Amino acid sequence: MSNTKIRVENLYFSYRGRSVLRDVSVGFARNAITALTGPSGVGKSTFLTTLNRLWESTRDATMQGRVEIELQGRMRDVYDRGMPLTELRKKVAMVFQAPNPLPMSIAKNIAFPLKLAGERHRTVVAGRVEQALRMANLWHEVKDRLQDDARTLSGGQQQRLCIARALVLEPEVLLLDEPTSSLDPAATDAVEELLTGLKERLTILVVSHYLEQVVRISDRVVRFADGTIVAG
Amino acid sequence: MKKLHELVAERLLCLSALASSAITLAILAFLVVMGLPLMRAGGVLPLVYSPWAPFQGSFGIFPMIVGTCAISLASLVLAFPLSLGCSFLIAAVAPSAVSRGFRRLIELMTGIPTVVYGFVGIFLLVPIVRELFRSGSGMSLLTAALVLGIMITPTMTLFFCDSFDRIPKSYLDAAEALGASRTQQLLHVMLPLAKKGMLTGVLLALGRAVGDTLIALMLAGNAVQVPTSVLEPARTLTAHIALVMAADYESPEFRSIFTCGIVLYLFTLTVTFVVRAMGSAKDEAA
Amino acid sequence: MKPCLLERTTVLFAWAAGLLLTAAVAVLFGYLFMHGLEVLNLPLIFGKTPPWRALLLQERVFEGLFPALAGTFMLVLLAICWAIPVGLATGVYLSEYAGPRVRRVLDALFDVLAGVPSIVVGLFGFALAVFLHRHFSERIGPCLLISSLALSILVLPYIIRTTQASLEGLPREIRLTAIALGATKLQNIILVLLPKSLAGVMSGIILAIGRCAEDTAVIMLTGVVASAGLPKSLLSQYEALPFYIFYISSQYTSPEELQQGYGAAIILLLLCALLLLAAYGIRKGLTHLVFYRP
Repeated sequence: MSNTKIRVENLYFSYRGRSVLRDVSVGFARNAITALTGPSGVGKSTFLTTLNRLWESTRDATMQGRVEIELQGRMRDVYDRGMPLTELRKKVAMVFQAPNPLPMSIAKNIAFPLKLAGERHRTVVAGRVEQALRMANLWHEVKDRLQDDARTLSGGQQQRLCIARALVLEPEVLLLDEPTSSLDPAATDAVEELLTGLKERLTILVVSHYLEQVVRISDRVVRFADGTIVAG
Repeated sequence: MKKLHELVAERLLCLSALASSAITLAILAFLVVMGLPLMRAGGVLPLVYSPWAPFQGSFGIFPMIVGTCAISLASLVLAFPLSLGCSFLIAAVAPSAVSRGFRRLIELMTGIPTVVYGFVGIFLLVPIVRELFRSGSGMSLLTAALVLGIMITPTMTLFFCDSFDRIPKSYLDAAEALGASRTQQLLHVMLPLAKKGMLTGVLLALGRAVGDTLIALMLAGNAVQVPTSVLEPARTLTAHIALVMAADYESPEFRSIFTCGIVLYLFTLTVTFVVRAMGSAKDEAA
Repeated sequence: MKPCLLERTTVLFAWAAGLLLTAAVAVLFGYLFMHGLEVLNLPLIFGKTPPWRALLLQERVFEGLFPALAGTFMLVLLAICWAIPVGLATGVYLSEYAGPRVRRVLDALFDVLAGVPSIVVGLFGFALAVFLHRHFSERIGPCLLISSLALSILVLPYIIRTTQASLEGLPREIRLTAIALGATKLQNIILVLLPKSLAGVMSGIILAIGRCAEDTAVIMLTGVVASAGLPKSLLSQYEALPFYIFYISSQYTSPEELQQGYGAAIILLLLCALLLLAAYGIRKGLTHLVFYRP
């Protein structure tokens, strides 16, 4: 059994007729943190959205190529017709650059994906919310204020909340798009520590252009330039 | 150091602003002055709750107030679910081409003159209601409310769509990345966040329904009575004003229509200020 | 995973509502055209009078819509003439000169004005006519002048709001360019800001025209009559298309007259639809402004 979790072959992407990604072929190892770096605007973030098909809701964008991700022990073609979009996104979770908690309580934010999945049992939901918050190193900070609005948390806490929210459905891959660029150094450290702890369970891809961070936490660095991979 | 013509221009602009805003107050003033003799004679409150019996010298507008409330609320009951469904279709359910086309259609509908609605209502809907329920002329509270409901649906739908559009994209992105389908985003993210804006839409649509004259005038049958069922005819405040345009400017019957005008004006005032108050109490989603 | 019951119901409900509304519009248009299409020709407008003689005002049209169309046309023209200068000036003042407190008060007043039912505006127009009759001249009664003034009040908030909104929507760079080159405030408004916001202002005016052409309640109380021929002066009574439709619906005496009613309804419907499409074509995203008025 190979160690490859994600395999991308001959990926092309264009937006409004302008080429964003050209002939990208790359594989990512299981249970590792891979950093995607390069100057801004070279298509790193776009690359992430091709993995969970989030780009499909943007107009005027087109993609060619093959993306395979191992899900539940089986290599699956992400763009196969038999692949349900919502299932894919539950297994390939994503966290955005700016923390984006939904305007509801902390507990409800974490429970939101469970609600989407149709999980109604209260004790089950409460248990998994706690589990996710613990995994995100956030439980001790928020356990007494679970009913507060999530937007009352600090920026760093919000970002960890978003990671917890992504973790609650037990994804296999976690995509992060510059997760620390809007945070102060202390909050950044907390998020990095969290990611390092998570790689035992997950395959993690982080887009970042802070080289220091990349070196600190990642097992491998893939460098993008001019719409394609130049090193890694 | 301003030049003279700059000053003159500023004064002129200010003057026209003051003049046009004064019209708002002048309307109320005229209504009060014209309605005053009748109000003075019998007091204001009796006018509002006493019945309409011109031959006994009673010019209360109570039946018209009930008629207006009944017809506009009934039309709201029809229009609200319809608008909700249509806005769902536009915002999340339909594929984008269908959604855009449907939105154009609804925008176009807002331009249909109310007199045309009334005209089609008389010749198409009234006979159907007459046959279906076998009661009276077919002109009834129900008939007017049905057409009025169709008339206000586009307005309400567009307001609903508007409040969906104002939801920050980051919330929708978050939900989408967590695997929410469009329908799930609608139900669990958009709908809870848009509530307030939607309430505004409902209120403004209610204002439209109350303020409309032609549909009720042409379709509600205009009997001066407190309706006891939806199949009975009713008269609205607006239709009453249109109907009692007697030539004798001094008759008390005639003056009662200014009381109707004042009631309608005060209703507008209330709706406007409630909507403004809701708008200035900042949106939670923002 | 299958979508749950609530989601499936929502989707079904949305399509049902959409179909119902579409069907309602289709029935409305279909019914009108089915009955009125065959009378949609020149005699509908000019009766038995030769069109050019009617247009040159040499001969009165008795059995056509020409007097009603001409009345509506003049009414709209006059009302818009009154409303444009005042509306533009007020919009400019609100956006460029008024301080925050003044603006708050005026905004509230125009919101109320925009919401006042048209029949109440009509009542105001009527009261105005009575007032002028008593205090100025016996000759003034409900007439074309009074109607057009009342209608201009009805559409004033449209023009004010679209002017204000399109001026306020201009980006900072555009505001500052001419100022930086030494233009005065007034020069900046006239030479730069107003031309730049012309599309918005125009769309507001077109909507106002549609509203004037369509409104029946105001003119009912201020001087429209079923039969008057062409208006002779500003102080005479007149005919108008929407009132004709209303009148025919209850007072028609023959199937031919009713057919004319269908024809008139189609003409008014198409007129208003075209004006609305034009307004939307000029500027997208007008939704708030259009529907504010009951």
